[in-house]
Amino acid sequence: MIDTVRNTVLAILNKNNYGYLSPSDFNLYAQQAQLEIFEDYFYQYNTQINLENARRSGTEYADLSKGILEVIDLFSKTAQLTQATANTNTYTMPSDYYLINRVMYGSTEVERVSQSKISMLNASILTAPSLDFPAYTTEAAKMTVYPATINGDTDITAQYVRYPLTPKWTYNTALVAQGPVFNASAADYKDFELPLDNLNDLVVKICKYAGVEIRETMVVQYSQAEEQQNNLQQ
Amino acid sequence: MAYISQYQYYENSGANPEDANWGSYQYVSLKDIVNNFMLMYQGNHSLVNNEERYKILFHAKRAVQELNYDAFKEIKALQLNVDDAVRIVLPADYVNWVRVSLYENGVLYPMTENIQLTSAQAYLQDNNDKILFDEAGNVLKPQFSPIDIDRITGTKKTIYLNENSAYNNAEGYCCDGIWYFDFAIGARYGLNTETANANPTFRIDAKAGVINFDSTMSGKSVIVEYVSDGMEGGDNSLVTVNKLFEEFVYSYIQYSILDNKLGVQEYIINRARKKKSALLRNAKIRISNIHPGRLLMNMRGQNKWIK
Repeated sequence: MIDTVRNTVLAILNKNNYGYLSPSDFNLYAQQAQLEIFEDYFYQYNTQINLENARRSGTEYADLSKGILEVIDLFSKTAQLTQATANTNTYTMPSDYYLINRVMYGSTEVERVSQSKISMLNASILTAPSLDFPAYTTEAAKMTVYPATINGDTDITAQYVRYPLTPKWTYNTALVAQGPVFNASAADYKDFELPLDNLNDLVVKICKYAGVEIRETMVVQYSQAEEQQNNLQQ
Repeated sequence: MAYISQYQYYENSGANPEDANWGSYQYVSLKDIVNNFMLMYQGNHSLVNNEERYKILFHAKRAVQELNYDAFKEIKALQLNVDDAVRIVLPADYVNWVRVSLYENGVLYPMTENIQLTSAQAYLQDNNDKILFDEAGNVLKPQFSPIDIDRITGTKKTIYLNENSAYNNAEGYCCDGIWYFDFAIGARYGLNTETANANPTFRIDAKAGVINFDSTMSGKSVIVEYVSDGMEGGDNSLVTVNKLFEEFVYSYIQYSILDNKLGVQEYIINRARKKKSALLRNAKIRISNIHPGRLLMNMRGQNKWIK
């Protein structure tokens, strides 16, 4: 998909042959555009839930939240967490996580508790974390699991939503007259991870950034108008 | 919790203890209750949403406690010997008593709760009745107060009609050539029926955590029937609810959360409250086991002539 996006962007920018966008600049904008769209999915999901609660959403093909969930789940990952210090109840969070969705101790879900509540929770006779109802807090990149008897190196796994990998449009180093030629076989090649229906959004967003770079007001205005239109539809 | 096989149920799959799963089908575990509630009653499209699991757990446990106090008919029994201080320590999970009985010669004698004080604290005092203190300024206390010593040694008299009665064996009537004023002889006109019991008495000192008995009970065997709060010493894996009360527990949790949540309309809270109360009534009727066979046995007594 990344080559299609790049070609479309170049076609839009190419006015009087000065709208060229270098591969490195394209890659920068591609990453930014993908992140922006990725984050927007979570807000869209929340909007859809509110619409559903207000009975303003349908089922089956009109069930938009289902589609959004499917996209978010493309980035879902389950991994065992490594212990920060041996034989302690602290674990290191995954380096690529965007949102921790579920933490598991064996088959038991560990509940996230805020730092402001954990001491009261530990002191509570009825609800103190136990092996049946464990809890965790986070601090920087560390997770502390309660009760402290959960301290095995393979005790904790996490299901989380990771950040999308950085897209990279790669090309052959041999120059030709028409510019660099796309090479999907390069070792560092990385396509967009968003689904195909985001192609239009990616083009619009990259055009917006590129339009600012080449000082082309029309491109920026077109992109902004397209974004507004998309937002209204959502 | 998943269903278990017959082999697991009857023999615990060969593990010890063999009886671990006996009768378990009547109950649903606390973990299942919380899990089911989170799954079925909490979420984006439910009345309850964005609530932490520990809050669900708290209300679930409170529901179990409340049910244990009066709705469940699960009375625990513990047999203990009365110690030299004529008392027993309350069971570790004791909340309230149902019945205390003396077990002697294979017979259970239900005991009466003494309406009079049988135990007290005491302070050490000097000859001028001044209270004595230690170096830290704390008052000095003897191990037993005089009333306790009298009760333990058997010199304390009782208003009950047992052998500690002030009139027990006192001379009064001549019977077979011997003078007695025994409670068991003669008519009891003007009898105080509240205290007309020949069995030993007990009194619960809840703060001290003991049941005090009269001196006749020293070394005897006592069975305490009591109710607990169902928390099983804090072991969540052992906390269970009878299935007849399962739906009530869900509605109790739902009501408790809605009742404490900001911005919930009053009619929704009322609906939850009524649902909770109705389910409790239903469950109580169900667990009381009123069925024709039992009623028939009870009604058979209606034609018996009372002489």
